[in-house]
Amino acid sequence: MGPEVHSASTQKLVDNLSAKLRRRQIVGSRAAALETLLILRQIVSKARFSNIDQLVEIIRHAGRQLVEAQPKEHTVGNTVRKVLHHIREEYNTATHGGALAQPRSAFSIAKFLVQGQPRQQNVALKSSDNNKQPLKENDADDPDSFAKGLKPVLMEAIQDVLDELETVYDNVSKNAKDHIHSDEIILTLGMSRTVEAFLKSAAHHRNYTVIVAETGPSYRGHDMGKALSSSGISTFLVPDSSIFALMSRVNKVIIGAHAILANGGIFAVSGSLLAATAAREHSTPIVVCAGQFKFTPLWNLYHEYGALDFGDPNNVLGFEEGDLVDKVDVVNPYYDYVRPELIDVFITNYGDHPPSSIYRLIKETYDDEDIEL
Amino acid sequence: MPPKQSNPKDPLISDDDEVLQAVILSDSFNKRFRPLTRRKPRCLLPICNAPLLDWTLESLALAGVQEIFVICRSYATRVKAALSKSKWSAPNSGIKITPIMTAKETFSPGDAMRDIYTRGLLTSDFVLVHGDLVSNIRIDDVVRVHKERRKVNKDAIMTMVVKEAGIGHRTRSRGESSVFVLDPETSECLHYEPVMGYPRKSVARIPREVVTAHPRIEIRNDLIDCQIDVCSVEVPSLFTDNFDYGDIRRDFVHGILTSDLLMKNIHCYIAKEGYAARVQDTRSYDSVSKDILSRWTFPMVPDNNHPADHAYEHIRGNKYIPKDNSVVLARTCKIGPKSLIGPASNCSEDTTITSSVIGANCVIGPRSTISNAYLFDNTVIGADCVIDRSIVGSNVQVKDGSRIERGCLLGDGVVVGPGAVLMPFERLMKKDDEGEDSAGGDNEEEDEEEDSDEEDLEEYQKNVKSILGEDSNALVWPRGPPEDEEDEENVENFTNQRFMRLGDDLSDLDSDTSADSSADNSDSDSDSDTESVTSVATSTSASHVPTTPTIAVPSSAAVAEYEFRVEAKQSLERAFAEGHSVDNAAVELKTLRMASNVPLSRVREAVVGAIVERIKIGGEVAEQRKEIATVISRWGELINKIGGVDAVETITALQFHCVGSDRLPLFGQILAALYQEDIVEEEDIRAWHALSASKGAEVLPGLEADNIKKCWTVGERMIQQFDEQESSEEEDGGETDEGEGTTEEGTTEDESEDSD
Repeated sequence: MGPEVHSASTQKLVDNLSAKLRRRQIVGSRAAALETLLILRQIVSKARFSNIDQLVEIIRHAGRQLVEAQPKEHTVGNTVRKVLHHIREEYNTATHGGALAQPRSAFSIAKFLVQGQPRQQNVALKSSDNNKQPLKENDADDPDSFAKGLKPVLMEAIQDVLDELETVYDNVSKNAKDHIHSDEIILTLGMSRTVEAFLKSAAHHRNYTVIVAETGPSYRGHDMGKALSSSGISTFLVPDSSIFALMSRVNKVIIGAHAILANGGIFAVSGSLLAATAAREHSTPIVVCAGQFKFTPLWNLYHEYGALDFGDPNNVLGFEEGDLVDKVDVVNPYYDYVRPELIDVFITNYGDHPPSSIYRLIKETYDDEDIEL
Repeated sequence: MPPKQSNPKDPLISDDDEVLQAVILSDSFNKRFRPLTRRKPRCLLPICNAPLLDWTLESLALAGVQEIFVICRSYATRVKAALSKSKWSAPNSGIKITPIMTAKETFSPGDAMRDIYTRGLLTSDFVLVHGDLVSNIRIDDVVRVHKERRKVNKDAIMTMVVKEAGIGHRTRSRGESSVFVLDPETSECLHYEPVMGYPRKSVARIPREVVTAHPRIEIRNDLIDCQIDVCSVEVPSLFTDNFDYGDIRRDFVHGILTSDLLMKNIHCYIAKEGYAARVQDTRSYDSVSKDILSRWTFPMVPDNNHPADHAYEHIRGNKYIPKDNSVVLARTCKIGPKSLIGPASNCSEDTTITSSVIGANCVIGPRSTISNAYLFDNTVIGADCVIDRSIVGSNVQVKDGSRIERGCLLGDGVVVGPGAVLMPFERLMKKDDEGEDSAGGDNEEEDEEEDSDEEDLEEYQKNVKSILGEDSNALVWPRGPPEDEEDEENVENFTNQRFMRLGDDLSDLDSDTSADSSADNSDSDSDSDTESVTSVATSTSASHVPTTPTIAVPSSAAVAEYEFRVEAKQSLERAFAEGHSVDNAAVELKTLRMASNVPLSRVREAVVGAIVERIKIGGEVAEQRKEIATVISRWGELINKIGGVDAVETITALQFHCVGSDRLPLFGQILAALYQEDIVEEEDIRAWHALSASKGAEVLPGLEADNIKKCWTVGERMIQQFDEQESSEEEDGGETDEGEGTTEEGTTEDESEDSD
């Protein structure tokens, strides 16, 4: 009963999801993370294992398959890593009596003065009042006893991750009013649910103006403009070409992210680099709103040309432009890589952070051995 | 273990509506890729290093198809084996694929459809595609639109998916395109005409009814016909009913749209989003490959969702290199844009590769140049070779210093060189032992054909201009049109094939294209019927009317009309003689009309004429009148059953027939009898009377005009009677007419002789 024993039904789930990811039937980082989490929950609930390594291997196997299916949806891998991290934590608690029973409140620059130094990860704090019998691994009499004992806590841990994912927008935007002040002019790009929630939440307390760039060639800025104006925020939709011209009047640029890399750079909707560079020119602050599930423990992705995820050129140059199609090579990248130097602050559901401390958060969130799945 | 959750997000629970079925016609029913397709079917040829069929299956999977039937004919066992080995047969693929081996006698898509019908596989609306399709169109949306339409209109049997593309688009086949006449409101396809590159077509004939029935029409020639059809279950049965339907477009669609017996509608779905194209020929092989490499087919691109599950890395300039580091690229080799290098291939020093696809395990020798060429797996290219715009099959060896010019096709296993120089468009195949042929043996028919070909080939080798090199094992295929090319109208004619050939710039053909295209617009307007001309000019989409060459069909219309008249006469005589029922006679006439494609008015003339001729002349006035009454009451009904009621036209036909016949004196009586039988109404007679043509205005003065005038006066008198009747409620109808008729009898007989 090795870890390679995958029940047919879970394998089918994994195949199904990887097909959907490959065919881009599931797009968007949160949707991908949610689907992955639901599948991991099923896998854990059905898995048969008698020690922790088997369980980890089962999950890694599924995770590897999903990541290979769609390496550009980074949240898939992130979710797998996070679940693994939680499983190890629960395992440690169960076997060694709550080794890591520390509060999960993370480090944030807002608390920097109070806290002084960020905590070290994995500090072994043995709790003395251990009233529970530790679980026994590889029990020869009852090989399932380990799984039986551990599963309820694991399911709970996964449920926590799920809850976190479901409340991510609220948590990101809970401090919105501290970032947006009255009569400010905010520039944003594309359609990010996080940014939308953030701006809407701030609108309860403040009266301000949003300029939304159309964000060609997807023109998702139109949706954003509609969403914001429908909730009573004064909104302007402007063409992308006027971003630079308007930047001198903008107080803050708020953008969403597709993935946040370990070096503090981000992949964000194409056009973000343009806006960020223009903002830097005018020394306008650039704020990135994103959930913690977008933290990706990879830092060298921007070396890869293909990481920008090039789509169908149809939106840039219509297929019906017959003659040109043959003569012009058109590229349509989904994302821009925005360098960490261009970003001022990340607002996440785990507090506000400068780009330079992202690597610490990532180290806290994931285990080092999972970086390569 | 907790029970399986029934969350709506659960990917296991599929939608509860019915399974979407698809049929893939894996056979191409032509030989455009030979000699590459000598030993394997076209659908297993690799494009961007994955078999075409896998691209098609992935396209369907992307569209949410759950059950697929693959109709295999040539090399059916190979297709079946390939399917069973592929990832699609894995239990978790989510798609059920059933290969269906059809008989060797299946020579056209129509035969395949009849086979599907006899097997009764399909339970609901299905998607029909060819085994060489590459598409990322959401076909499930089309199916939804189709089903919605079916709820309202049971006769909407098919939806064709077409893709907008410019005139000069590389993916739009010039050898095989089509003119669609669409209703922009309902997107119903009103008329379809196939267009070939050669012979050139400059006139598209649009039936008058199309123009009169629809206030707005779009005439479009800028569409790529992806040949994705969403069909209702009755489509296969329609193929069975019409045993002569071969091609789905040229026969079926054209047949359905021109038939007024079937009363079925076909719609078009103009895909705005997405990509779809067929690899119909070597030229489209080239353009589809380039479209894939330029990512038009996203999400099916080499670095994402590659159908053969290769993993490629996408590099600036749309270059793709395998991720597994199995490729050896020399430091000095140059890989140009739009290139794909297969796994475990080796590019030596100073090689240059541009816009090409290199298969797996290929070796490219030093200083070789490969541009716009497609190399299949396991091919070895020697040093200092040049390959341009060609397709090189698998296991081919091109030895040092060879030149392969544009448009060449090298079959599997060919060896050329060293120092070979191939002329453009040369097609090479491997000389093989007969033993191998019979061992392959699953396709006797094709083997036989080849045998006969090969004998000629041996002859042909003497006058080959290309240098094959001393180590070569190749046979050169004949170039140019076959001497016995019988049928220029066929799509497969040689000159038309040139439009589909890789690397052919058609410079010699293009010169006359441009000359004609200016005359083209005016040409298509100078249709005989003025009504359609005005509509074409005013139709809103005039900008879409393309200037593509369209070909004038030799005017066989006159011949057909004559034949029709003879046949109709015979048919009616038979009906009269054997006493058929009116309905049967009507059906027979409709069929005839369909067969010879004549307008309804011709049929009416023929029927009216035959009935008039049926009336015996002579006898007493009363007897004559009785004779007329019996004939009209027995057969008069037929006039209105031939497929449309137009009483005014009936009277005109009667008039003009009587003018040219010895029954001129009977005109008034017959008209009265028709009136009695309610075949013509009072208003109709008035309407006819008001027409200028019925007065003979358009006929040169002479006997004929006089006779026409006479008939008209008879009518006039009848109308006067109607008026009198109205005022005095008195009736003495035919009396005066009769008198008129008999007095004039003598003169008319002479005239009829003259006019004959």
